[in-house]
Amino acid sequence: MEEWIGGIWDRWITQTARRDHPEAAVHLKDIEKTIGVLFRALGGDAGLRVAAAADTTHGARRRLLERIAGVHERTAHAALDMETLRLPPRIAVFPAPTFNRDLYIWLAAVAGSAGPALAGKYAGEWIVRNQFAAWVTLQRYPGLMPRYRRLVDALLAERIAPEKLPEDEAAQERAVRQALVEPGTVTELPPLTRHKAKPLQPVPLWLYPAPPSVAAPRKKDPQPGEAEDNEQPKEQQAENKRYQANRDELPENESPMILMWRAESIFSWAEYLRVNRALDEDENPDAGRAAESLDQLTVADGEQRVASKVRFDLDLPSAAADDLLVGPGIPLPEWDWKRRVMKPDFCRLQTMVAREAEPQPLPERLRRHARKLKNQFAALAPVRRWQKAQPEGTEIDVDACVRIYADRLAGWHFSGAGAYLNHRPTERDLACLVLADLSLSTDAHANDEQRVIDVIRDSLMLFGEALSATGDQFGFYGFSSLKRNFVRFHEIKPFDRPLDAVARGRIAALKPGYYTRIGAAVRRSIQLLEMVPANRRLMIILSDGKPHDIDLYEGRYGIEDTRMALIEAREAGIKPFCVTIDREGAGYLPHLFGPAGYTIVRKPEDLPDRLPLLYAQLTGNA
Amino acid sequence: MTAQQNDLPFYEPAGNEIDLFEHAHRNHLPVLIKGPTGVGKTRFVAYMAAKLNLPLYTVACHDDLTAADLVGRHLIGDGATYWSDGPLTRAVREGGICYLDEVVEARKDTTVVIHPLADHRRVLPIDRTGEVLHAPDNFMLVVSYNPGYQNFLKGMKPSTRQRFLALRFDFPDAAREEAVLIGETGCDEMTAKRLVSIGRSLRALKDVDLEEVASTRLLVYAAILIRDGMDTVEACRASLVEALTDDLEVAAALDEVVLATFGR
Repeated sequence: MEEWIGGIWDRWITQTARRDHPEAAVHLKDIEKTIGVLFRALGGDAGLRVAAAADTTHGARRRLLERIAGVHERTAHAALDMETLRLPPRIAVFPAPTFNRDLYIWLAAVAGSAGPALAGKYAGEWIVRNQFAAWVTLQRYPGLMPRYRRLVDALLAERIAPEKLPEDEAAQERAVRQALVEPGTVTELPPLTRHKAKPLQPVPLWLYPAPPSVAAPRKKDPQPGEAEDNEQPKEQQAENKRYQANRDELPENESPMILMWRAESIFSWAEYLRVNRALDEDENPDAGRAAESLDQLTVADGEQRVASKVRFDLDLPSAAADDLLVGPGIPLPEWDWKRRVMKPDFCRLQTMVAREAEPQPLPERLRRHARKLKNQFAALAPVRRWQKAQPEGTEIDVDACVRIYADRLAGWHFSGAGAYLNHRPTERDLACLVLADLSLSTDAHANDEQRVIDVIRDSLMLFGEALSATGDQFGFYGFSSLKRNFVRFHEIKPFDRPLDAVARGRIAALKPGYYTRIGAAVRRSIQLLEMVPANRRLMIILSDGKPHDIDLYEGRYGIEDTRMALIEAREAGIKPFCVTIDREGAGYLPHLFGPAGYTIVRKPEDLPDRLPLLYAQLTGNA
Repeated sequence: MTAQQNDLPFYEPAGNEIDLFEHAHRNHLPVLIKGPTGVGKTRFVAYMAAKLNLPLYTVACHDDLTAADLVGRHLIGDGATYWSDGPLTRAVREGGICYLDEVVEARKDTTVVIHPLADHRRVLPIDRTGEVLHAPDNFMLVVSYNPGYQNFLKGMKPSTRQRFLALRFDFPDAAREEAVLIGETGCDEMTAKRLVSIGRSLRALKDVDLEEVASTRLLVYAAILIRDGMDTVEACRASLVEALTDDLEVAAALDEVVLATFGR
């Protein structure tokens, strides 16, 4: 009974006290893309990403009712730092959705156009910087003025009036109001005089200082390619929200005999201690909730897990659990750039087929997109069209006949052109092999929800649909490697089979593992492409990083071998093209693929969209 | 001469391209102009033709364009045939600039006639009539193409491109683009400034959110609509936003960029 009454009371008081307007809320995830484009268009750095900001306690004065109900205690501030533009995950400040949307637009515009000014060049108090940013933005984009006016008017109506505040707080509030109405006129924020004075009410139109960055230099960076511990606590993955965190040194306990804390004190979630949790396997189910209610998480750089201290070779799964081997290994050569010789039969490539790949249909979430792509790509499919001046055909080419006749009359008898029109499909006659990198690095997270391997899977699914629509011959293969004797070459969709449930099942069963010995995989792909009867052959390599294996295959050796393999491809009349998500790719890819032979997809999650477009671009007007 | 000056089409130079073109013309060298769409390649050639007082023969190349289309053909008349010169032949015979726009689009066999004309030989052999035409001093071959498209099936062979002097055109800087808008459409300075600001904002999105970005030509269209009394935001939407993207969310963002500049 008590609980029931309590529940009702809580609902009632919360609803009554709420000053925001949940019914008019605009969510960041709905307009994220628009905001991102706008931010970049108005001058924002294209390398930045847009993310949801964390709630923080603002400590400002609230109305009595709000205090009773315990609402509006925390709010998410917009902030800009070197890597991210943080915006509140939802805005419900105003009663009209258009106003809330306008607020997002305004924040993106300020961050985009005045971001650099806010970030550093222009020193000064926070309030001065924000006025300056607003002023710059309005100067550069005068069209925002009416919108800014509307937002300020609406915001002032929502704020607690200075008359209702104690004197020092009222002075601050007046300064903020003036700064909002006429940006650039307030030079400083009057100080609070009383001990118990509350800080300013949040100003949603302004950008707040970015929370301390978690990207403080870490002592030990995991070696690339080495087994990284990518497992994140489940709770945190589910919640698409950032926590404010700071990185701290783990307090050193110099003498094991001295307790580092007072034994009688009671610890809350907010404190941290040096407790040996490194081997703690269980996840604390409450951690997520606790993190939610903390203002700041402290992350300490402790020792690494025992396992990751040792640089070790990855264990192969037992033969029974591993994918099926197809036939004996295929010997392939490798290029030694130092000795400048091709080492014959140096690698052994093993074709594999996924063991437990249940045939499956196209996942529901991709279907709409797939349908769209199919329609678009049907336009690339060979259409029947009249070909002029053919030696034989169903109709007479009047134009050609006239030309030949005229040539004859003029005494020119050697016209080689035919006089017929022929109606037949123009042959694209194109074969495309997609070679996907399945090394362990694809296990890394591309964004909060997807790993790189997930993105690769989606890309292959959608790309397959698009390719089926064009009628071009295509094959999908994946590769990874574990030293030279075991280059794993996964057969996903061979050229001679359609893209069916089996192939989709194999795409879905792709697992990241091992390293990137790309040269051998390219050489095998050349062999496969040469077996396909086609005029033009294209090899698209999906990669996420440099060639790398744990034997000598790294650095210059790996790159030079890959380069040699690609030269072999070109000699065989195959056009290699690389699509990478490795941002540092621009350093070595021109060397491998030439200036027009690669593209860097900055955001991995765009890959499923970009790949078909790229293909259309590469092969259009064929 | 004065009458000639009045007929000059509007052109706002970016650098020394006029000078270079004149040198090329004096020394009988062919010119290759490359650059994205809508930055004034064609206008520049028209301007130079007027300035040098040369007739201009423009051929927009397409994938069905053969050497015969450039050189000419026989026509039938009253029991006899007449040879009709193609645009290239006419330019060689009479002198003038022959401008092959988007030359990479043309069929491969066009190189047969382009190559001997573009190097020191400066001859055009016409196999149908058995003639070999020698280009006069005032003949000039100009070709253009847009290197932006990454299409491995289309491209310019090195043997072709190494016969030309090359000029690169790019989007003009803000001041020059404003001058272009004002000179081209007679719009007021404020409109020009704002349109250029929109154009530059949209160009920042190249390769990230947009594949092709706003050309000067599109900005000119917008300025024309605005000068004609159309609502600024509507004009920009029609000429810029919808011309650049089909994606609704991106279009919404581009709309916001327009609103941020011209808003109400």
